[in-house]
Amino acid sequence: MNYIENSYICLAAPVLLAILCLRGPGRRSLAFVLSGMTVCLLSAYISTFLAGSAGVDLTTASYEISPAVEEIMKSLPLLFYVLVFEPDRGTVIAGALLVAVGFATFENVCFLTSYGTSDLLHLMIRGFGTGAMHVVCGMIIAVSLLYLWDRLRLRIAGTFAVLCLVVTFHAVFNIFVNQAGIVFWIGSLIPLIVILVYLIFIRSRVGMI
Amino acid sequence: MIESIENALQIIVLLICSGIALYRAIANHSQTWVLAFLFFGSWLLGDIYWLVCLLFYGQTPQISIVSDLSWYGSYIFLYLLLYHSSAPDKDSRKHRLPWLGPVFAAGMAVFFITQGELLSNLIYASLMGLLLFAALSRKIDRKRYQNQQFLSGMILLFCLLEYGLWTASCFWKTDTLSNPYYWFDFLLTVSFVFFLPAIKKAVTE
Repeated sequence: MNYIENSYICLAAPVLLAILCLRGPGRRSLAFVLSGMTVCLLSAYISTFLAGSAGVDLTTASYEISPAVEEIMKSLPLLFYVLVFEPDRGTVIAGALLVAVGFATFENVCFLTSYGTSDLLHLMIRGFGTGAMHVVCGMIIAVSLLYLWDRLRLRIAGTFAVLCLVVTFHAVFNIFVNQAGIVFWIGSLIPLIVILVYLIFIRSRVGMI
Repeated sequence: MIESIENALQIIVLLICSGIALYRAIANHSQTWVLAFLFFGSWLLGDIYWLVCLLFYGQTPQISIVSDLSWYGSYIFLYLLLYHSSAPDKDSRKHRLPWLGPVFAAGMAVFFITQGELLSNLIYASLMGLLLFAALSRKIDRKRYQNQQFLSGMILLFCLLEYGLWTASCFWKTDTLSNPYYWFDFLLTVSFVFFLPAIKKAVTE
């Protein structure tokens, strides 16, 4: 039996203490990381509950239920931050990244406790792949939230549409990484390639982030 | 087998369309082209999802939430694209003809609900009704929306092809090319190509 809430407490405790001690941007950054971990834990509970309700096995749930739950949950801290604090654009982008990092970190810890730590190469590919996928999804939501919509009505509809897009991206990624061999490699490399394409070709031309 | 080939063909076309839209979005710093990229990209991801489910698990998704979400996203991006390339004037709301769109979508929704799920059909009907209303409003008001005539026409055609596709899927008979479902799907694939000049015309004029 894998008690993920125990892993969560062990990981979250030092981060929580640091949040209490720090002030300013450091505190904010760690709060984002902690919220990412927390929504990862909650997503696991919700996905398991929905999978049980729908009567599907965990593999099917990983590409039919979890992506929607995880992406919606992951966007909540960011939406809360944007709506309540009305921060500047740079902070929102950084926040989206840090929530994604917290989420991916806790997800990887759960994976390690379930499947062991013996295969370094596999874990390395998985670590980079999952991390990149969560970062890509977080970035897409944050960038669209800040740059694409200028009116509230468009922002609501547009954010929902972007959420739909990242859920599908996440689901396709999960299908690929659930396979063995070359398909797993390809699936893990796709988000890394997206990040590389963004860094090399798009960032300098668009000049957003 | 035919479904996989048809899906693969649509994916190739959408990949090319997404690439062109992304290039134009970056080259022209155009928000409309970003929305076009998101429209093609969202549909593309939905298609990839169906194809990899068929390839790796030998079946279409048991719960079609994810693929439905990608198509909802596409319709919203298409509506935002039309909205963004020129905001609708309040005068266009005086016309009654555009209301035919939502009425048609509602009527079809009643039929589809008898064949399938309630919630997803209601969402599809709402989004289709919105798209048809917006496209018909622009079609009627030719003078005001001169640059959007091609795009509005493409959206109308796209919606009708979608309805043809859905209706054909309700009367599924054979998994061969004689099934009208594949004809509509092929025409839908072709329609994506014509969106590019339509969007270009809406942006440049």
